[in-house]
Amino acid sequence: MTAQVVLNGLVTGMVVALPAVALTLVYGILKFPNFAIGAMLTVGAYLALALNVYLSLPVLYAAAIGAAAFAVVAVGIDQAVFRPLRERSAIPLLVASMGVSFVLENIVRFIFGNGARSFELPLARPKLVFGLRINNEQIVTAVAVITAMAVVYVVLFHTPLGRAMRAVSDNPALAAARGIDRERIVRWTWVIAGFLTAAAGVLAGMDRAIDPLLGWNYIVTVFAASILGGLGNPVGAVLGALTVGVVEETSTLLIPPNYRQVVSFCAIALLLLLRPQGLLGAQRIKR
Amino acid sequence: MTAYLITILTLVGIVAILGLALNLQWGLCGMVNFGMAGFFALGAYTAAILALAGTGTLAATLAAAVVCAAACGVVAVISLRLSEEYLAILTLGFGEVIRLFVLNEEWLTQGSLGLPGIPRPLWGVVSEKSYEALFLGLLVAVVLGLFVALEILLHSPFGRAIRAVREDDIVATTLGKNVVMLRVKAFALGGAIIGVAGAFHAYYLTYIDPSQFSATITAYVFMAVIAGGRGSNIEGTRFLKDLFNVLDATQLAAIRLILIGLGLILFLIYRPQGFLPEYRLKTTSLVRERPSVSQSAS
Amino acid sequence: MNIHGSVVSAQEIVLRTEGVAAGYGGEDIISNISVAVEKGSILTVIGPNGSGKSTFIKVLAGLLPARAGEIRLGATSIARLSAPQRVAAGLAYVPQEFNVFANLTVGENLRVSTEFLERERRASAEQRERVLAMFPEVAGRLGLRAGYLSGGQRQMLAFACAMMAAPTVLLLDEPSAGLSPKFVAEIFDKVKSVNAVGVTVVMIEQNVKEALRIADIVLVLVNGAIRLLATPDDILTKHDLHKLYFG
Repeated sequence: MTAQVVLNGLVTGMVVALPAVALTLVYGILKFPNFAIGAMLTVGAYLALALNVYLSLPVLYAAAIGAAAFAVVAVGIDQAVFRPLRERSAIPLLVASMGVSFVLENIVRFIFGNGARSFELPLARPKLVFGLRINNEQIVTAVAVITAMAVVYVVLFHTPLGRAMRAVSDNPALAAARGIDRERIVRWTWVIAGFLTAAAGVLAGMDRAIDPLLGWNYIVTVFAASILGGLGNPVGAVLGALTVGVVEETSTLLIPPNYRQVVSFCAIALLLLLRPQGLLGAQRIKR
Repeated sequence: MTAYLITILTLVGIVAILGLALNLQWGLCGMVNFGMAGFFALGAYTAAILALAGTGTLAATLAAAVVCAAACGVVAVISLRLSEEYLAILTLGFGEVIRLFVLNEEWLTQGSLGLPGIPRPLWGVVSEKSYEALFLGLLVAVVLGLFVALEILLHSPFGRAIRAVREDDIVATTLGKNVVMLRVKAFALGGAIIGVAGAFHAYYLTYIDPSQFSATITAYVFMAVIAGGRGSNIEGTRFLKDLFNVLDATQLAAIRLILIGLGLILFLIYRPQGFLPEYRLKTTSLVRERPSVSQSAS
Repeated sequence: MNIHGSVVSAQEIVLRTEGVAAGYGGEDIISNISVAVEKGSILTVIGPNGSGKSTFIKVLAGLLPARAGEIRLGATSIARLSAPQRVAAGLAYVPQEFNVFANLTVGENLRVSTEFLERERRASAEQRERVLAMFPEVAGRLGLRAGYLSGGQRQMLAFACAMMAAPTVLLLDEPSAGLSPKFVAEIFDKVKSVNAVGVTVVMIEQNVKEALRIADIVLVLVNGAIRLLATPDDILTKHDLHKLYFG
C-alpha cells in the first residue's frame, strides 16, 4: 500500500520536475519567479490536444510538435514582455508574468471554453509489476521525464551552452566581461524552459482532465519543488519535485486529496522559515 | 437606469476598497499580494458565517477585518527576511489554500453550494426599494473614510518609516526602526481592509459561493492600482468602471481578462510612473550585481 | 610622452580615449578623460579613493556606458560596443571582486571564457596550454569549484580566464586588492610576464609603490579628471603626489 503510494508520488513528482526545472532555470538567469508557469503548462497541453484531436496526430507526435512550437512561443513572450523589463527589479517582472498568466489562460479559455477535454489515447490495462499497479501513462511519463532530465543534465554540464547558462546564472556582469552574450543565453533558456513546461502539460493532461485551470492547479506544487531544491538549482529542482510528489501523495492517506496544494503550501512556508535556500541552493535570497 | 448605476457603483466601490488595500501593501510597502482573491474570500466568508449566526453585521465586519489582518500578518512574518518574490509566492499559495478550504470544508462553508440569506447592515431602516441606495451610501462613506485614513497614515511617522524601509532597509535599521514589525503591521493593515471589502461583498450579494472569488478579482485590483498609480486611488477605480461589463459569457469574460492581462503588462513596460519610481530601478544591474552567497562567504 | 596625453613618440597606439565622461546617477564621476596607450606598454591609473579609477576601467570594459567622448581600440571605435563585443574585439577585463564563477569549476571557468567567442578567436589547444603554463597554480586545480579557492588563487584564475581570450589589451581592476604580500608580488610578476608576451596592460591600483614599479606610464586621476600623465621616474623625481592627490 505504501509502496504504491510512493510509486504514484514519484510519477507525479516526475511530471512536476519538468516545470520545476524550467522555473528554476529562468529564475537563475533572469532572477524572478515566472508566475506564468502554470498557464504555460496549460497551453502546452492544449497545443498537443489540438494536434491530437483535430489533426489526428498520435499523442507522442502531437506532444513533440506542440512542445517545440511552445518553445518558440516562450521566446516570443520573453522578447515582448520580459525583455523590456530586463533592467528592472524582480517585482515588475513577476507582476508582468502574472499578466502573461492571465492572457495565456484566457486565450485558451476563449478558444476552447471551460469544459474538460482529454487526449485520444489508446486504452490499455494497467500492468502489475512486483505487486504494484503501473499504467501506461505512468510508464510514458517516467521514460519521457528521465530522458528529458538526462538531456538537460548533459546540456548544462557538458556543453558550452550549458556552461554559459550556469555562468550567466552565477554572475551576469562577469559573463558579459568574458564575452558571453546574455541575450542569446536568455533565448536558449526560454527554449529549454518552454519545451519542458509544454511537455509537462501533456503528461499532466494524460493524468487529469484538460481544462483552462490545468496548470494553475500545479503551480503551488511546482514552486514548492523549486524552493525545496533551492531556486536556481536545476538538480535541486528535480530532487525537490520528486520529494514533493511523494509527500503530496502520502498526505492523501491522511487528508482529502483535494488538499494536495495545501500540503505544498505548508512545505513552502516551513522552508522559508527554516531553510529558504532549500536543500541545495546557494543563490542570494536575503534582501 | 438608476438601479443599474447603483449596482455598478456598488461593485466598483467594493473593488475600490480592495484597491486601497493593495495600494497600501504593494504601492507603499512594495509587498506583492497575489492572494488577493483568497483573502477577499476569507473576509467574505468570515463575515457571512458570523452574520448568519446572528452576531450582527458590524461585529461580523470587524471580525472579518481581524481574521484577514491576522492571516496577512502570518504570511508576512514568514517571508520577512527574504527578498520580495518569496512573499508573492507565499500569498499566491495562501490564496489557493483558502480557495480549497472554502470548497472542501462544507460543514462550515457549504462548499460549492454557497451561503445564502446573508443579513445586511442597516436593513429595515429604509424601505426595501431604497435599500440599495442606502447601502451604496454606506459603502461610499466607508471608502472615503478609509481613503482619508490612509492618506493620514501615509504622511504620519509610520508612513514615513515604511517608505524609509522600502528604500533601503539597512539604512532604516540603523535609524533604529523595527524594520520587521513595520512591514508586518502594514501588510496586516492591508489585510484588514481586504476583510472589510469581503464583508461588504457578502452583504451586498447576500449569497456567496466559491466561484465569486477567482483570480479575476486579483487581476482587476492589480490593474486598477497600476493604471491609477499611487495616491490616485480615485483614478484607479474610475478606470475599472469603464472596463466593467455586466455581460457574463465565458468568451467575453475571457476577452476581458486577456485585455486586463495585456493592460497590466503594457502599463508595467510603458508607464512606470505612478508608484513604480518609488522602486529602486536596477539601472546599473550589470555593474552593481550582488554576489552569489558562496563567493561572499569566503 | 608629455604631461597632457598627446602622443609624441611614434609607437602604435592600441587604445585611445577622447573626452570620455561617465557616471552612475545625476552627476558625472569622470569627465574629459583623454589618454592614448601605446602598444605593449603598461599604463597604471592611480589616484585617491573616489577619484573615478574604477568607473574609468568599467567604461573601458563596456560595463558602464560613456556619456560623452570616444573610445578606440586600434582603428575601431568601441564606445557603442557591448562588453561581449569588446571581448571579441580584443579587450579583456579582470574585475576586482566576484571575478570568477563561483559555482563552476576552475576548468569550466577557463572554458567558458573562450567558448562563446567567434571561432577564430576561440582559444586553440596551444593557447590553452600556454595559459596553463603561465598559471601553474590554476592548472593544478582544474576540478575544484572556483568558490572554494582562496582570494589569491581566485585572482590568478580570473587573470588566466582573461588571458584565454588572447586579448590585445588587458584591463585590470586593482589586481592586488586584499591579497597577502606574497600574492601581491606574484600577481605583479604575472602582469609583467603577460606584458612580456605583447599584451598591453591598463591597470588601476591603490598600491602606489607597486604601480610605479612596473608601470611604463602613470595616469593620476583626482576627482574624476586627469591631473598628470608621466613616467614613474618623472613622478618620483619631479612631482609631489601628495599635493596632486589632496592639494
